Amino acid sequence: MTHDATSYDRSFGGLVRDKTQSNIPVKSAYGPADLEGFDYERDAGDPGTPPFTRGIYPEMYRGSLWLKSFIVCYATPEETNRAFKKYIAAGQTGLRVLTDTSTLSGVDPDHPLARYDIMCNGNPTFALTEYETMLDGIALEDIDFESANSTPSGSFFTYVFLVALMEQRKADISRLRGTNINDPVHAFIVYGTPEFSPDLARRVNLDLIEFGIRHTPKWHPCTPCGYDMRDAGITSPQEMAFVIANALQYYGDAVAERGVRFEEFRPMVFSMSAESDFFETIAKFRATRRLWARMARERLGATSPRSMACRIGIRTAGNSIYPQKPLNNTARITLQVLAAVLGGVQSIDPSGIDETFGLPSEESRIFELDLQHIIAHESNVPLTADPLGGSYYVESLTTRLETAAAALLEEIDRLGGMWKCLESGWLRQQFDRATTEIQGEINERQRLIVGANAFQGPDGPISRAIVDGAYKVPSDEKRFGAIERVRQLRQTRDAAAVQRRLGELAAAVREGRNIVRSTIEAAKVYATLGEMVGTIRMAHGLPFDPYARISAPQFLQVGE
Amino acid sequence: MTETGAKIRVLIGKVGFDPHDRGILILSRGFRNAGMEVIFLGKFRTAEEVVSAAIQENVDVIALSDHCGVMRLIATDVMEQLERQGAGDICVVAGGIIPEEDKPALEAMGVTGNYGMGTPIEEIVRHIVERVNSRADA
Repeated sequence: MTHDATSYDRSFGGLVRDKTQSNIPVKSAYGPADLEGFDYERDAGDPGTPPFTRGIYPEMYRGSLWLKSFIVCYATPEETNRAFKKYIAAGQTGLRVLTDTSTLSGVDPDHPLARYDIMCNGNPTFALTEYETMLDGIALEDIDFESANSTPSGSFFTYVFLVALMEQRKADISRLRGTNINDPVHAFIVYGTPEFSPDLARRVNLDLIEFGIRHTPKWHPCTPCGYDMRDAGITSPQEMAFVIANALQYYGDAVAERGVRFEEFRPMVFSMSAESDFFETIAKFRATRRLWARMARERLGATSPRSMACRIGIRTAGNSIYPQKPLNNTARITLQVLAAVLGGVQSIDPSGIDETFGLPSEESRIFELDLQHIIAHESNVPLTADPLGGSYYVESLTTRLETAAAALLEEIDRLGGMWKCLESGWLRQQFDRATTEIQGEINERQRLIVGANAFQGPDGPISRAIVDGAYKVPSDEKRFGAIERVRQLRQTRDAAAVQRRLGELAAAVREGRNIVRSTIEAAKVYATLGEMVGTIRMAHGLPFDPYARISAPQFLQVGE
Repeated sequence: MTETGAKIRVLIGKVGFDPHDRGILILSRGFRNAGMEVIFLGKFRTAEEVVSAAIQENVDVIALSDHCGVMRLIATDVMEQLERQGAGDICVVAGGIIPEEDKPALEAMGVTGNYGMGTPIEEIVRHIVERVNSRADA
């Protein structure tokens, strides 16, 4: 279906679908019969009361608006620092940190595979020096840090460096606030980086939860990430089921193996995707809260309403924006943010309209903030909680999604939990089946994507400006400067202290102790991330380099 | 199929640490459905490994994917390796997030396609068939 000639035909068109994005059939009208058996107290409840279908706070956005968040991830710590300060001044209330793709993979910039991705998607935070620069002049206590670092080592080292920096500045670490993804199962399926083997990743996940609860009670040590999985091409019920199943796995293990009580945890935080299907997205957030409230009670023994509630942070779907006629992305992102607000989420991170060309430009970032200000202050949508509650269609869809996700959860339970589902390949099959089906429908034009497989047309001057404005990866010369920086750091730091601290870290790994404290101490004397990953791996009986391309530095080879 | 009737052999993979592999998974399926033989090399590879595998597998085409905006550097290294290993006849095509201003340089070094997300698979298949056939003519 190419529409070059028909784009201006005002009577052209006709819906091609009768199902939602996740292929849930939709009737042409809904009525009271669709709500048969619906019980307000049991299935909806007032906002702020279990099962929290209508939102987790009685006042919802009248009490406080959602957190306006986005990843700030420029190439150098200096640029990132300037951007943080600028965005804070523009009203941003949470700082989201993302390291570059190489560091996220668990190596230093001088690793032979790193050269391509140094400074791509973030800055190379290979040692505490980089955090010192990145957060220079920014208060560390009581600000919301959201770690967007999804890999097992990425989540681990964001926390390690933040706590190390606070202690170095004599700040009170119990006032560290924010969230850490720390969701290794999703990382294996989406990122597939091998720096920690599954058994090691499982242990680090629990170490972070245990240490976090004891020492940084305002920090969420594990906030399972449905977003990345969704963006890899699965459906809403799968996203809901997998994110809840991962939470049950990690927190269930922490309770069973680390002697923490589930009631000690702050409310659960899930990161999810706001997709283009408007009502399905709204219903998904409502259904997720309801299903989580039940699972927390039934599976984890939650007794207080607080521990049955889940906060939902969203990112708008990165895979829904397209490079063809990029001006159209403003419409997609606006609808997705509106769906998130109508769905009662707590934190919103929209895509940049130019994000298919590079990192979002500063103007595109400001647009994301302004878009949220417009929804908050001009549209008046947030004035009342869950405005669509009671809608025949939305309530019915909420129940459909919950039922489908609950069935998947049962199956995961039968299969022995998410680690088992990862190990057996069941999870991979779930992904493959969904992506094949969705892609097939796109190819067959049973799903229309304006500008891409339908309604194509040339870019005009506005779209061309969007393409040109996107932030580009810096020059190779500048990027390779990070290689020089890590080499210099290794020459100027206290080598004996590094060796001693890494030795202590290795001992903690071997003796089965929680490794968070000894990693923080190693970070404080400027051990690099690659060295710390390698030390942990070797003490666990693995070779130094996860990618089998380099051997351990001389000073670590004792006992390899 | 090529004009001589043989199945086109395509190696698809990613150089460096870019983890976004939905594109190469979808394209592998698309290429197979279009009757091509696909050698799936996956991610976390070096340029040298891509080229060595391409030679070993006797492929017609290397399809590179990158979503970190550094295709120019990846392609430069791959083309250099092809030259060094004496396999300049292998066609190289690319896709992902490729900065507009890098496209002329990529075309100039013989890396074509340079498709963005949302490109219909049949368009990419058509391009590969054309590249391979024009090579056969040469």
